Amino acid sequence: MGEKKQLRIFLSLPSTMQLIYLLDTIISDILREMKFNEEAQEHVNLAVIEAGTNAIKHGNKEDTDKTATFEFLIDDDKLTVIITDEGPGFEREEVANPLEPENLLKSSGRGLFLMEACMDQVEYEAKGTIVKMVKYK
Amino acid sequence: MQINLRHKGSVIILDIEGNLVGPNTIELKKIIDDQIRTADHEPVFMVLNLERVQMMDSSGLGVIVAAYASVRRDNGRVVLLNIGGNIRSLIVMAKLVTIFDRYETEAEAIASFL
Repeated sequence: MGEKKQLRIFLSLPSTMQLIYLLDTIISDILREMKFNEEAQEHVNLAVIEAGTNAIKHGNKEDTDKTATFEFLIDDDKLTVIITDEGPGFEREEVANPLEPENLLKSSGRGLFLMEACMDQVEYEAKGTIVKMVKYK
Repeated sequence: MQINLRHKGSVIILDIEGNLVGPNTIELKKIIDDQIRTADHEPVFMVLNLERVQMMDSSGLGVIVAAYASVRRDNGRVVLLNIGGNIRSLIVMAKLVTIFDRYETEAEAIASFL
């Protein structure tokens, strides 16, 4: 018996935050189909929304002429999500740690932290314009 | 997203329904900011009832953290009511458990301001 073939779903969105809800619907359906447990579903859903927000809002500055792409690679044992944007990128090391006492009461800056806390792997490529996240079952 | 604004004495209660995610959070921020502005530097005592909120992202967290920081400047407080498992784990993850007082009943939340 060979391994099941990887399933690939590709989504390309114009950069408007209203489409975050479409992303929420799609990832929720994928997670249910993959039978992740409830906690993992919540975590992946949150991480994808955070990554989508980063790509659309911070990367592409909500410029609807720019595209954010979402690639979902579904394997038996894991889900890989690759998000790209057309923004200038960022340096991960320069983003402040939101858990430091001086940052706790800041109203922003938690997105990357939540992505990394919710997923098993998060990698940034091409100055952060490509984000690859993995969750194992 | 639906937000119902109520008053019990001097306490403002916001019953929030829906997911506090992305652009949805703008309406909550506007309502909270309006209440703080109306108070005109008098202390604001606010209960955020999250019983019907299933999901919150960093934007939602940002709104409630900003509310906490704003009202604290005038000796007010923001407390959370009826948070479910998802929101609780998010608040724990973000190390905000020490910031927000959390209550299971409205009476307890209101009594906390006395």
